[in-house]
Amino acid sequence: MTLRRIRNILRKEWSLLFTDPNSALLVTLLPFAVVGQFILYFWLAFRFGGEGMLGSSVFQTALEKLLQAIPEVSALPASEQLLVLLLNQFQFILLLIPVMIAIGIAAFSIVDEKLTGSLEALLATPVRTWELLMGKTLAGAIPALLMTWVSAGFFLLVVSLLGWGNLSQLVLTPSWFLSLFLLTPAVAILSFMLGVIGSSRAKDSKGAQNIALIVVFPILALIGIQVTGIIWFTTLRTLVLALVIIGVDIIALRAAVRLFQRESIAIQWR
Amino acid sequence: MVIIETSGLSRRFKDVIAVDDLTMAVESGEILGFLGPNGAGKTTTIRMLAGIIAPTKGEAIVAGHRIDRDVEKLHEVIGMLTETPGLYSRLSARRNLEYFAGFYPIDDVSARVEKYLKLMGLWERREDKAGTFSKGMKQRLALARALMHEPKVLFLDEPTSGLDPEAASEVRQLIRRMREGGCTIFLSTHNLGEAEMLCNRIAVIQTRLMALDTAESLRRRFFRRKVIVELQSPDPNILAVVRALPFVQEAKEEGSRLSVELIDSERNRPELVRAMVEAGGKVITVSEEQYTLEQVYLRLMNEEKVSDTQAHS
Repeated sequence: MTLRRIRNILRKEWSLLFTDPNSALLVTLLPFAVVGQFILYFWLAFRFGGEGMLGSSVFQTALEKLLQAIPEVSALPASEQLLVLLLNQFQFILLLIPVMIAIGIAAFSIVDEKLTGSLEALLATPVRTWELLMGKTLAGAIPALLMTWVSAGFFLLVVSLLGWGNLSQLVLTPSWFLSLFLLTPAVAILSFMLGVIGSSRAKDSKGAQNIALIVVFPILALIGIQVTGIIWFTTLRTLVLALVIIGVDIIALRAAVRLFQRESIAIQWR
Repeated sequence: MVIIETSGLSRRFKDVIAVDDLTMAVESGEILGFLGPNGAGKTTTIRMLAGIIAPTKGEAIVAGHRIDRDVEKLHEVIGMLTETPGLYSRLSARRNLEYFAGFYPIDDVSARVEKYLKLMGLWERREDKAGTFSKGMKQRLALARALMHEPKVLFLDEPTSGLDPEAASEVRQLIRRMREGGCTIFLSTHNLGEAEMLCNRIAVIQTRLMALDTAESLRRRFFRRKVIVELQSPDPNILAVVRALPFVQEAKEEGSRLSVELIDSERNRPELVRAMVEAGGKVITVSEEQYTLEQVYLRLMNEEKVSDTQAHS
């Protein structure tokens, strides 16, 4: 029955998602905009930054760690070393896609139902709180995750069209794949879960978005940590990070169920 | 058989008592009208009985399930129509129902959805988005949603509020049909005429339960039955004859109308008419003064205000 109910929520949420032009555009276009923007930034850095950027103390530690992790990079000219360093960040940049989609969609998932009055009718059905929250989370996280993987493919395609195919091969390490297929799903679920929590606690959609925004900062911090070389995410570290976030997902679901107070939702939203 | 039973049911929101010590029983298959002014605790009571909010004191059993312990099972056997239809405007009527049906153990969802769309007269519009429906159609769709799993108890919160007379009448007809189907209906409404038309019994609430009985019994409780005799022309002699009759408690003349209060309205009425005719009175019509539920309700509310004032002073 639980699976049937979650599937039921997924079907309904997807019907609503793809009949709302704003949400549909957000899911389909935003990932390409993120990828395109970062590739443009990398191209500008490669074209005009080059050795000057690498000479900066900010990148020195990161470059040393990159050379330790991928020794073949040392044979490349400085500008290509910079490019490999930047391309290597893409595993974390991709994490921004589910997070941004979550802010745009999950933040409204409960608030909208409160405003239209459908939530009270829903609360009078036998659906359990965790089924409702899981359904809403997966309904956003699954398309966001699929689009992230499509974006990863798009990234590799554009990089190869730009003639950087040999460089991108260097960054396709086990850590990259772990990040794409374990860390990204975990982050997608966490983002949507936090969005749904925000939506169930907030008094309006703006408040919900503000709560969901919190998850962006750790992702930006991850990119910053790696690009400045403070911590280099080896395969093991990426695996540990992914497992930690999966643990946080479970805690977040339990917290979401506790924070989803049917009573206050029914009383405060008339 | 009692299907809803409450005992000392109370709900407090911080310092405000919304429902106080509500004790009552609703029989299976009846329509109970739940009346009261705004803020009287009607919606709070429905939400408690529907297991959406918990009581702060007291308990209730609905269709065999404790409202504070057995919520999931309770939700399988109740239906609820909230004040707003709460539909998904971008989904079709059919999809709206299929979604809600998906939460209940229904074997053939499509067949069940078809049955209720047809019952509500919405089958032809099944693929239209709910957002394109009129208020009345939305309300019918919301009723279908509340009924689709064939609940034992149906809670209706202001089901005709905001509807035009035609749509309201359609909804009332549907409520009657549901009763005929054996469903127990707990109907919260401000519309006293509607309550009188539909309900077997009426409960009046003003935070606490003020009255619970049939409309007729409530009338008797608050108003004495009076016989109205319409004469062809005013006749002071007839009034004197009537006042002299041993079973007449009070008689008043208002032009050619006599208002007479009898000891036993049914038994004494023929004797009254005979005495008037024998005294030369030309009787045109004899009827009983009709008190509406609204008059009963207003009397109850006035009594409450008086008792509140006395309590405060």
